[in-house]
Amino acid sequence: MSTNEHAAPVLELTDLSVSFSTRQGLIRAVDGLSLSVGRGEVHGIVGESGSGKSVAMYSLLGLTRDANASITGSVRFEGREILGSGDKAMQPIRGGEIGMIFQDPMTALTPVYTVGWQIVEQIRQHTDLTKAQAKARAIELLGEVGIPDAKRRVDSYPHEFSGGMRQRVVIAMAMSCNPKLLIADEPTTALDVTTQAQILDLMSRLRDVHNSSIVIITHDMGVIAEMADRVTVMYAGRPIEAGPELDVVRHPRHPYTWGLLGAVPRIGERSERLATIAGNVMSPLDVPVGCAFAPRCAYVMDECAARPPWSDGDHRSACWLSDTQRVALRRKES
Amino acid sequence: MSDEVLLRATDVVKSFPIRGGKLGTKKVATAVNGVSLDIFKGETLGIVGESGCGKSTLARCLVQLMPVTSGTVSFKGEVLTGRSRRQLRDTRRDMQLVFQDPYASLNPRRTVGDIVADPMRINKMGTDAVINARVADLFKTVGLDPSYVQRYPHEFSGGQRQRVGIARALSLNPSLVVADEPVSALDVSVQAQVLNLMSDLQDEFGLTYLFIAHDLGVVRHVSDRVGVMYLGQLVELADADALYDEPLHPYTNALLSAVPQLNDGTEVPRERIVLSGDVPDPADRPSGCPFNPRCPSATDQCRTEVPVLLEIRPKRFVACHHPLTF
Repeated sequence: MSTNEHAAPVLELTDLSVSFSTRQGLIRAVDGLSLSVGRGEVHGIVGESGSGKSVAMYSLLGLTRDANASITGSVRFEGREILGSGDKAMQPIRGGEIGMIFQDPMTALTPVYTVGWQIVEQIRQHTDLTKAQAKARAIELLGEVGIPDAKRRVDSYPHEFSGGMRQRVVIAMAMSCNPKLLIADEPTTALDVTTQAQILDLMSRLRDVHNSSIVIITHDMGVIAEMADRVTVMYAGRPIEAGPELDVVRHPRHPYTWGLLGAVPRIGERSERLATIAGNVMSPLDVPVGCAFAPRCAYVMDECAARPPWSDGDHRSACWLSDTQRVALRRKES
Repeated sequence: MSDEVLLRATDVVKSFPIRGGKLGTKKVATAVNGVSLDIFKGETLGIVGESGCGKSTLARCLVQLMPVTSGTVSFKGEVLTGRSRRQLRDTRRDMQLVFQDPYASLNPRRTVGDIVADPMRINKMGTDAVINARVADLFKTVGLDPSYVQRYPHEFSGGQRQRVGIARALSLNPSLVVADEPVSALDVSVQAQVLNLMSDLQDEFGLTYLFIAHDLGVVRHVSDRVGVMYLGQLVELADADALYDEPLHPYTNALLSAVPQLNDGTEVPRERIVLSGDVPDPADRPSGCPFNPRCPSATDQCRTEVPVLLEIRPKRFVACHHPLTF
């Protein structure tokens, strides 16, 4: 963890909401997300499919191009409000000050140009380097992310790389302009575990060297445990728990987080049965007015018909259970 | 789990011809390279490995969905390899599959009731009334409401569709169920439901599972024994607890160390071994041990001699010249 995390945050979201009006009704894909990412800090956003974690990140970058989308709240990057600024204002930020790593490295790269061409294009867009200088920088970057024989590989096409190597190219591209913030959306989901270990290792190293902040979106609690300093758990578009990674993993407060952690089969132990969360992730059209998790929660109470407020402190959650009830329930479960 | 062998594979090889680099040259990619294993009645044998290691191809060869290039597979004491489709028909009833993608493995134009009933209709298992009653029973068994039989697959979530796939696999009372990545497309909370269901069904019907997955946590959770594949070869095979607690093959060790752990105080931290490079091309296999180019303890012997799978301790098989010691 960095030492100056209490300095001004690199990224600060306040009450970010994204909704889409569809023929079936209004879909609140993101509903009141607030978080702040300090310099050199890794912030994990975890949730199952449809929890709104990706939509939140695309929206803050201005990449939600849907006429039916409405985005409200505030996004401050390095102290400036960027939500709602047009493409012209966002272009130097996207790819320049904020780097992006997408889930699928095959679709993130265009198949018709060499990887070198793609990196050079991005560098020249954001700096005044000449073509030759940019190319030299591209080779340097490919070497830095661990691509062997970078000088030759810079002229290869994406299909000539394996999945892990392609993801390295995407990371090299994201790092090309020394971004202050890196947004990684499921960067290792498409990869095998040994490759995932290489990529996570690389991302941590880049954070240490450049002191970049990272927002990592994933559904894998293991990746969160490995990488993140702080974590936000999302369910049905709403944040339901947030805090320092160790606190959330060791002392989860929200019943959804309990279920999520209990449902992961571990390699270190074999339990007879996995904890499950009853039911399915709900359709975004049916999210209740009260607590979004209430229909699946084993501990649902009358209070849950109203939306629970965000608790105070460093480790926060949105749940009506009192601390004493929570402790009693947890003890009964184990 | 008993000592009775349900399925035995001996030296199974499957290779595919591929286009060579030069015009007119022929190359082969060997997806499965000499795998021998036994599946005992009532057990769950898990197979893990990274993408492209040949685990799905192996499963398809074992249930004769694909002819083997060489080697033999026998089921309940009868040799299956080399039989015609007609001769295999009766045996196929006894071996059923659950597939990875619950979206692609169910016909979108048929109701889920028909999807589950079809195997029974094809095998003339009784009158419509008998079959419909059994479909309703199967739906209850897998935790679906029997009133859903008239619905179509698109009306269900991923987890529910996978339950339909499981009901279909059970419809003919098979003794062996081969599940190829049955939970990898599901969210973690739903994945846990399906894994629990599969273990309940095993207890209820005395099923034998061949469970293929890339997720090491999932495999440990469901399996009695686990086999680890690398580049078409079985590199280690042992009881699940023994293999996870004391891996003997350096690849198994690296694979386990690569899994991100929740450090919630319940797991012993493992020292991370980051492997360099990628899995070699199955059309251009390294000489000697398939893992030697990436192995931290490779020697000259590893570069020339292919290690064979040996039982170096009771019930612990490993294919390595220099197995790890604990």
